[in-house]
Amino acid sequence: MENDVKEGGDRRNFLIKLTSVVGGAGVAAACVPFVSSMNPTSDVLAKAETEVDLSGIPPGGVHTVAWEGKPVFVLHRTPEEIAAAQASNGVIDPEPDAKRVKKPEWLIVIGVCTHMGCVPTKEGPGWTCHCHGSQYDDSGRVVRGPAPKNLEVPPYHFESDTKIIIGKA
Amino acid sequence: MSGPIINWIDKRFPLTSFVKHELTDYPTPRNLSYWWNFGFLAGIVLVLQVATGIFLAMHYKADATLAFDSIQHIMREVNYGWLLRYMHAVGASAFFFVIFVHMARTLYYGSFRAPRELLWWTGQGLLLMLMATAFMGYLLPWGQMSFWGATVITNLFKVTPFIGDDIVIWLRGDYSVGDDTLTRFFSLHYLFPFLIIGAVIVHLVALHTVKSSNPSGIDLKAKDNIPFHPYFTAKDLYGLGIFLIVYSVFVFFIPNSLIEPANNVPANPMVTPSHIVPEWYFLPFYAILRSVPNMFGGVVAMALSVMMFAFMPFLDRSRIPGGARYRPIYRLQFYLFLIDMLVLGYVGYVPPTNHNIVIVGQVATFCYFASFFVVPFVSKMEENWLIKRGLPEGIMELMEREKRDLEARKEEQGRRKGDRI
Amino acid sequence: MKKLLKIMLLGCLSMSVHAEEAKLEKIQVPKDKPSIARGAEDWINNCLTCHTMKYVKYRDLLSLGIDKAKVDGWRGEASLDTPLTAQMPDAVAMATFAKLPPDLSLMAQARDGGPNYVYSYLIGYYVKPDGSVGNHIFAETKMPDPLGISSAANAAERADKQKTARSIVTFLTWAADPHAGERDTLGKYVIVYLVVLSALLYAVKKQIWSRLK
Repeated sequence: MENDVKEGGDRRNFLIKLTSVVGGAGVAAACVPFVSSMNPTSDVLAKAETEVDLSGIPPGGVHTVAWEGKPVFVLHRTPEEIAAAQASNGVIDPEPDAKRVKKPEWLIVIGVCTHMGCVPTKEGPGWTCHCHGSQYDDSGRVVRGPAPKNLEVPPYHFESDTKIIIGKA
Repeated sequence: MSGPIINWIDKRFPLTSFVKHELTDYPTPRNLSYWWNFGFLAGIVLVLQVATGIFLAMHYKADATLAFDSIQHIMREVNYGWLLRYMHAVGASAFFFVIFVHMARTLYYGSFRAPRELLWWTGQGLLLMLMATAFMGYLLPWGQMSFWGATVITNLFKVTPFIGDDIVIWLRGDYSVGDDTLTRFFSLHYLFPFLIIGAVIVHLVALHTVKSSNPSGIDLKAKDNIPFHPYFTAKDLYGLGIFLIVYSVFVFFIPNSLIEPANNVPANPMVTPSHIVPEWYFLPFYAILRSVPNMFGGVVAMALSVMMFAFMPFLDRSRIPGGARYRPIYRLQFYLFLIDMLVLGYVGYVPPTNHNIVIVGQVATFCYFASFFVVPFVSKMEENWLIKRGLPEGIMELMEREKRDLEARKEEQGRRKGDRI
Repeated sequence: MKKLLKIMLLGCLSMSVHAEEAKLEKIQVPKDKPSIARGAEDWINNCLTCHTMKYVKYRDLLSLGIDKAKVDGWRGEASLDTPLTAQMPDAVAMATFAKLPPDLSLMAQARDGGPNYVYSYLIGYYVKPDGSVGNHIFAETKMPDPLGISSAANAAERADKQKTARSIVTFLTWAADPHAGERDTLGKYVIVYLVVLSALLYAVKKQIWSRLK
C-alpha cells in the first residue's frame, strides 16, 4: 500500500518524468539502426538503375531486363503495333497509349502481372499471364481479368536514341 | 496496477504477484555498493549481444568462401552494419569485463559462501558457456586469427586419452578447421546464447532463494532490507548509464583496438601468422596452458584454472563473515591474486620465445594454483589470530549464534536418522 | 576498491599496446573528403597497376566527390559497380613476382601499427651497399619501390614522394573503414546524450534514496 502511494508520487515527479522521456527517446533512437539494417543495403540500392542498350532489338522484338530484381519488358513496336495500341484505350483500366510511352516505338513496362505477381509471356499481340489467365495488349494494358490494372511503367529516360536508363525518370 | 485486463490475467496467471514478489517488493540489503551493479549489467550486455547478433545473422554467411566477404558487406553496405558489428565485437569484451568484475566482487566479499554455493556454481556454468560462445563466435569472421585460434583450441582435445585424434576430427568435421567447422560453429554460436538465457534464469531463481549477499557479509535483519524497486532499479539504471558511456567510447572511437590486425586478413590454412594471441579475456588461461611444458598437463592445468573458482566454498571455511572486509589477510590474498592474473595476462600476450617470460609464466601459474590451495590453512590461521586480537562485539555474537545453529542442525539431523532406524 | 578498477583498466590497456619490431613513423591521417579523394587519385596512379581493392567500387569514389568524368575515364567499359581491379592479369603477376600482390581494401588495418606501418613501409625503401634496393620495415618484400623513394635525388624530391605516400595511406585508411567519419560524428552525439542521461539518472537515484533516512 505504502509503495503504491510512493509510486503515485513518482509519477507526478517532474524529474522522473523527464528522465523517463529522455531515456525512452534514447531507447527508441537505439532501435533505428536495427530496423534500418533490414532495409535494402547500399549495393542493392545501387542496382536501382539499369542501363539498356536498344540498338540490338529489332522492330517487333522484345527484351527482358532486370531492374530492382524484377523483369522489365522492352518492346520495339512496329508501326502496325503502334497503330493498334493507339486505336484503343484499354478495357479494364482505360489509359491512352500516349501516356504509357515516351517514344511510340518503345514500350517499357514492368513484367509483373498486377494480379498476383507472376511474369506474363509474350503471345501474339500482347502478353498472357499463365497463372490466372490475364491478358495484356501491346501497350501493356489489361484486356482480360482477373488483373485489375495495366502493367506498370517504370521511371526511365532516354540517355541517347539507343540507350535508356531505367530507375530515374 | 489494476484494470480489467490485469485482473483477467491475474486470475489465470500470477503476473502482478510475481512482479511484486520478485521485483517491486523483493527485499534487498540497503547497504549494497555499486559493485553489486555488475550482475544487472551482465544481463543488459547479454540482451545487447543477442539483439545485435540476430540482426548480424540476417546478413552473415556461414560459408568458408563467403564469410569474410559477408563481414565486409556488413561493414560497408548494410545500413548501420558497421555499428551492429562493432557493438557485437565490443560487446563480447564488455561481457567478459563485466563478468570478471562480478566474480571479483563475489570473491572479495565472500558471496560464494554458504548458503550461496549453488548460486556461485550456476555462475561458474555460465562463465564456461560464455567462454564457449565467445570462442565459437570468434571463428565466424574467418580471418587469420579466427582460423588459427580455432585450430589451436580444437587441438586441445587431442589430449583426450585413446580417442583424442578422433575427437578433434569429430569437432571439426574435417581434418583441419574448414567449411564444416565454420557452419557448425555458427549454428552453435546462435544456439548457446539461448542456453545462457536459460542458465541465467536458474541463476536468478537461486539468487532469489538465498537473497543477495551484502558488503557486511552478515545476513541483515528485515528492517535493513528495502524493496528492490524503486531503490535498486534507480541505482542499477544509473550504473547502466555510466557503463554505456564507456561502452560507446569503445564502439564509436576505438573499436579496432579490440580486433587483432591479423584478423583483417582472410583465413589461410597454409600460413600461420607469426604471432597468434587469443582475445584478452582468455590470456591468463592461455598463459597457464603455455607454462606447463607437457601438452597433457598444460591442457589439464588450463581447464582446472577455470574450474578452481568452483572449489572456493570448500576452500574458504573461515567463520569470520564479510569476506575481505573483516579479514586483512584474505584481502591481501585477493589483491595478490589479481596481480597474478594480470601477470599471467601479460605472459599470455607476449610471444613465448623469451626464456625469462617462460619462467615468469611458470612462477605465476604456480602462484595461481597455490593461492587457491593455501586458502584453507591461511583462513584458519587468520581466524585464530583475529579472534585472539578481538573482534567487534556484534561479530563475535554472530559467530557464536552460527555455531549454535550449526550444532542444533547437526543434532536435528542425527535425531532424524535415529528415527528412521 | 577504486584502485582495483584502475589496475584492471590499466591491464586491459597495456595488452592492446603492440610491440613493434622496426620503428614506425607516426603520421596523422586526414579524414576530410578532399584529402581522401586526392589519395584515391594517387592510389589509382601508383598502385592499381598491380593491386586490387575488391571491397571498393568505382561508385564509392563518386561518394568522395570525385568528378564523374574522371571516374568514367578510370573505369572504361566496366560498370560503376565493378571493384577497383588490378590492370595486370594474375598470370603475369605470378610470372613476375611468383606471388599475387595482396588485396589492399583492408591493408590499413591488417598490420600492427595500421596506417603508420603502411606509410613507413612505402617510404622505407633504401639502396643497399651492394646496389640493390631493400626495405627497412619489410625486408622480404617482393614489391619494387613503387614511388621510387630510394632513388630520390634530393630532399625536396624525397619530401614530395613522402607526401604522395601520405596521400595514398589516407585513401587506404578510408578504404579499410569507410564509415569512420560517420561513426565519429554519431559517436559524439551518443556520448553527449549518455552523459546527460546519466546525470539525470544520478539525480533520480539521489532523490529516491533520499527518502530513506
